[in-house]
Amino acid sequence: MSQPSQTETSIYSPRPCRLLSVNKLTPQDKLFRLQLRDGSELQHQPGQFIQLSIPGLTDAPLSVASSPTRNGYFELGVRKAGILTSALHRLQPGEQVGIRGPFGRPFQLDDLRGKQLLLIAGGCGLAPLRSLIQYCQDRRDEFATVQIFYGARSPQDMLFQQDLSAWQTGGSFNCRYTVDKKPVDSCFDGETGLITNLLNDLQIDAANSCAVIVGPPTMYRPVISALRRLGLNSEKQIMVSLERQMRCGVGKCGHCTIEHLYCCQDGPIFWLEEVEHLRGAL
Amino acid sequence: MLKQLNYDNLLQLLETISTDYALQVPTLLADGTRLLANYGSGELSLTGPPLQRKPTSAFFPQTELLLTIDVEGQVHLPQPEKPVALFGLDRTDLAALTFLDRFFCAPPADDIYQRKRDRALIISLTGSAGPERSFLPLTEDNCDIEMSAVNGQYLALGHSELGQGFLDGFADGDPQQLEDLRRESAQQVSPAELLQQASRLLSEERVPDRFWKEIADKCILCSGCNLACPTCSCFGVQDRQSGHGTERSRVWDSCQLDAFMREASGHNPLGSEQLRTRRRIHHKLVADVERWGELGCVACGRCDRACPVGIGMLAVAEEIVRRFN
Ligand SMILES: Cc1cc2nc3c(=O)[nH]c(=O)nc-3n(C[C@H](O)[C@H](O)[C@H](O)COP(=O)(O)OP(=O)(O)OC[C@H]3O[C@@H](n4cnc5c(N)ncnc54)[C@H](O)[C@@H]3O)c2cc1C
Ligand code: SF4
Ligand code: SF4
Ligand code: FES
Repeated sequence: MSQPSQTETSIYSPRPCRLLSVNKLTPQDKLFRLQLRDGSELQHQPGQFIQLSIPGLTDAPLSVASSPTRNGYFELGVRKAGILTSALHRLQPGEQVGIRGPFGRPFQLDDLRGKQLLLIAGGCGLAPLRSLIQYCQDRRDEFATVQIFYGARSPQDMLFQQDLSAWQTGGSFNCRYTVDKKPVDSCFDGETGLITNLLNDLQIDAANSCAVIVGPPTMYRPVISALRRLGLNSEKQIMVSLERQMRCGVGKCGHCTIEHLYCCQDGPIFWLEEVEHLRGAL
Repeated sequence: MLKQLNYDNLLQLLETISTDYALQVPTLLADGTRLLANYGSGELSLTGPPLQRKPTSAFFPQTELLLTIDVEGQVHLPQPEKPVALFGLDRTDLAALTFLDRFFCAPPADDIYQRKRDRALIISLTGSAGPERSFLPLTEDNCDIEMSAVNGQYLALGHSELGQGFLDGFADGDPQQLEDLRRESAQQVSPAELLQQASRLLSEERVPDRFWKEIADKCILCSGCNLACPTCSCFGVQDRQSGHGTERSRVWDSCQLDAFMREASGHNPLGSEQLRTRRRIHHKLVADVERWGELGCVACGRCDRACPVGIGMLAVAEEIVRRFN
């Protein structure tokens, strides 16, 4: 047919990255700061993910947890869940990993600008949301009020605790945190109960609000119902992040499909109305 | 460009092609199996039942090295192999190839597939080439040469420049014969009509969940349907350490298997056989139509022949139409 095409790299080629620092977030989560070995910026947008590999281990999708407004590095908040993530937890600063990406549709910043934002995260979902929160912090005047809601299983499961307190005291955001259960000896001063409890008594200007939800699969339906009760009923008012198993990140391997959509390409960030009618999406 | 080849001319053409290409031709094995196999590895078989091994595996094989990453982190792509030539594809084979070309070459293009595909030479085989010389309709699509068996001779239509180059020097063909073939081809009924009906019933949500349960209860989870299917494109990626660094390869995967979508957290959006069986049919008859504007099933019948319990695509589509229309 057409002439031979010779390419130097492939959509499956990883780029070498150096680990700049590793910090413990919880007993099972760590924050990794990385830099591309050639010194270039990742050039991601909040909500996008990368595929990370360690020599000999198959890559896995991880959301970028830092904002592109912070130069010279990017960060990943990673839970020890299986083979690759456990190996990553054993690495030390200075060691090398491979990444592909950034991939996926990011948070639609153009639609969020000027709006009152409700940023809602559960558990690990704070990692991708942190990238958007940092972006709002660095470009504060682009957005109206920003409220952050975070729910975790227990105080010790809360990710990014330093960030959580800084956001709470910094004056830029209105923050409310909750845990499912609080041990008696805990000094956690947030609330107890499901994340929906934080939303029930809110006073908002629904017509000018946008909500973003990132969390475990079980969180979506109750949070969406709570938002609907608050009056977020129009199109482009609720954004969700949907995670699926991902092997390629580029729309080819088929593992991430929801009906006709490919989460890695058409998502992971979707408007609610794009997916809520699809079987198995939420 | 229309040419006429006799049997010896055809052999001569295949011989010429085989010098520069890794040529696969319909081959008859000693036990009567007919399949696409390397030229010269067995008896050339110009009529007979459909070729069960999917021709698309020449470009998307069951397992395939994608690249090697050396200890420095430098990526090396595999050395290009001899380009592939396939002879003997029928109408559904070419429809499957067209489907897969569009899928893999949609941005971002899968360069691993595209590199092999771009250099390939494709020759169909139609006319009196079916079982007991029964008629196979013309393809007229996505091939370099259309070869049609007519009265013991071969009418060769060069579609691409590459194909025409190989036909130079052979005698001219009779355009009237081509017209006759076209007329006969247009009269063939295609099972695609059945699939369209099933597709409509599915998208209208006329097929209840208990139907999927009933079909799924029969499935023995062998994954044969997916592995046989020429439009199935799902794969897993594997990295393995070797002497030279890390070898990254891909291997076919099947949506009929439990691990297909299971996540590290244990969450599994396709966590039951019922959901997976629905997915196998629904993806090709509804999701692909939504995404690509076309059915993802070309009605080749491979999965129906592969399935040991009779729940291949055409069998299920027939059942859907019978019960829910
Ligand atoms: C878009 C996206 C963003 C993510 N962001 C983060 C993040 O920021 N932090 C974090 O800790 N985790 C994140 N995850 C989940 C993370 O990808 C899994 O925990 C990880 O794949 C587990 O890999 P493993 O090799 O350690 O586990 P194993 O169970 O050994 O996994 C084997 C393979 O299964 C696949 N797989 C298993 N679980 C998942 C899963 N949940 N999602 C996708 N593929 C999976 C991967 O291809 C992996 O290589 C994200 C997932 C997605 C889809
Ligand atoms: S008939 Fe079966 S094997 Fe052939 S294209 Fe359709 S689903 Fe695939
Ligand atoms: S071939 Fe039949 S039995 Fe085997 S996995 Fe497919 S549907 Fe199930
Ligand atoms: S991750 Fe492979 S298709 Fe989406």
